Amino acid sequence: MSVLKVNICGVEFKNPVITASGTFGYGLEYARFIDISKLGGISVKGISYNEVKGNPMPRIMETTSGMLNAIGLQNVGVHKFLKEKLPLLRKYDTRVIVNFWGKTIEEYVQVAEVLDNADVDMLEMNISCPNVKEGGIAFGSDPSMTAKVVSECRKAISNKPLLVKLSPNVTDIKPFAKACEDSGADGISAINTLLGMAVNIHTRKPYISNVTGGLSGPAIKPVAVRMVHEVSKVVKIPIIGMGGIIRWEDAAEFFLVGASAVQVGTANFVDPELTLKIVDGLEKYAESQGLSNISELTGKVDLSK
Amino acid sequence: MKGIILKNERLNDKYRLMEIESPEFVQTAKPGQFVMVKTGLQDYLADPLLRRPFGLVDVRGNTFRLLYMLVGKGTRLMTESPAGSVIEFSSSLGNGFKSVKNQKVALVAGGVGIAPLLWIAKLLKDDGCSVTLYFGGRNQEDIILADEFRPHIDKLVITTDDGSVGDKALVTVPFGQDVKGFDRVYACGPKRMLEAVSGICVKGGVPVDVSLDERMACGMGACLGCIIYVREGEETVQKRCCVEGPVFDGSKVVWESVCR
Repeated sequence: MSVLKVNICGVEFKNPVITASGTFGYGLEYARFIDISKLGGISVKGISYNEVKGNPMPRIMETTSGMLNAIGLQNVGVHKFLKEKLPLLRKYDTRVIVNFWGKTIEEYVQVAEVLDNADVDMLEMNISCPNVKEGGIAFGSDPSMTAKVVSECRKAISNKPLLVKLSPNVTDIKPFAKACEDSGADGISAINTLLGMAVNIHTRKPYISNVTGGLSGPAIKPVAVRMVHEVSKVVKIPIIGMGGIIRWEDAAEFFLVGASAVQVGTANFVDPELTLKIVDGLEKYAESQGLSNISELTGKVDLSK
Repeated sequence: MKGIILKNERLNDKYRLMEIESPEFVQTAKPGQFVMVKTGLQDYLADPLLRRPFGLVDVRGNTFRLLYMLVGKGTRLMTESPAGSVIEFSSSLGNGFKSVKNQKVALVAGGVGIAPLLWIAKLLKDDGCSVTLYFGGRNQEDIILADEFRPHIDKLVITTDDGSVGDKALVTVPFGQDVKGFDRVYACGPKRMLEAVSGICVKGGVPVDVSLDERMACGMGACLGCIIYVREGEETVQKRCCVEGPVFDGSKVVWESVCR
């Protein structure tokens, strides 16, 4: 499997397939269904300093080739995560990325400081959740705010590589990616969900109590591929690409437009074994392409006329 | 997991009964559990995308059965799966009903909510219980599988909204009149019915287990799309319908959060 071994921001992954935050719980939920040690890594559910109960129900709705969610970043809080979840997750042979967020810059820094000393491999700042009123998207939709929150967290994080997960809900994603790189991010995760809405025509009410939600799944893949391509043009730091990956062919597309690894999200809901099928498919593809390592594919899209 | 569809029987315009052979699946399945079925069947890019939860009707030998109501694209696709074709599904999920011995038990079902009650009826009867089934629906079309229950129950009470079969009443009416004669109640059906049944049971001092149905993406406790609220002492706490449920103590459910 060495053909799939990748190094992202100094951390070696046995393969470049990582489960995306918010779609794989704390990893443990899936451990009885698949061998999670076969995954390159797990990005755990977005962690805040204090426990968060999330949004009212209903929170999810299936749409054409996708789904809307407005879970509201429900999580157990960083201390409970470190005490009750992480030790169990660390028993598996996979990299652990902790996605984290705050409602204010101070809260981002507060949780980052705790995680910087925890037994995790990498941190992933979420500045792009569309489903909470404060924080989240506010930091991801203004480049100067992005720069501020990333640089403040960078000061607080000295032991772990820092990824920043970008929002697609902006006119131009490039200034945000550049702001992250300039502010000390070690890598970019792109993209988070697209803001969407669905309405029941019989009741005339939105299906989701939050009215809007984050759209994910195959429906968003072309948008995600385009945005990863755009990000790759303006930053030198590694990009972890995601958005609608459900087959290995989807993952390969992300590599071609500039990703060094991928995260798989909604596909985990469709079938928890899909990530492992993507690992197998990528390996066969890399070998069939005569690659000595999958990273040789990164950014090799042919744009010639 | 994968299985072979042995039967995909049309019961009427609204309901189908699917029998699936899967020796692996039946080893672990329990009454009241559910299964997530991949309704797109062959193509992961097909619409609909997500799997759908269905309560287990029962297990017989190497096969299990699912009752499904035609409500959308996913269930329409299921009707197009002929006998002999392969179907994909999860392992058995959630916590089911717990059987009791030598008690007077009422089962209360509304429409497709009849599905998970057949298996527990069989177990209860085998364990020396007397079992009464209260079964309500909008009309005759909703009164399905009743004949399959007859060997496993002592009494059957049917109601319909239009009176096309049984008494013209809500199922909660005859059940409410009889509730004090029971030691325990199991119920599955529309949320408003479950709320009413739970209220009747609380008032009558009878324990009640309800099987809830919430929209869910994963069925495995990760998506947090199926949260319900229950009372634990003085506190109201969140539970995942898929993992901590789908069966809950009806007297503890915060119904105003469930019946939206």
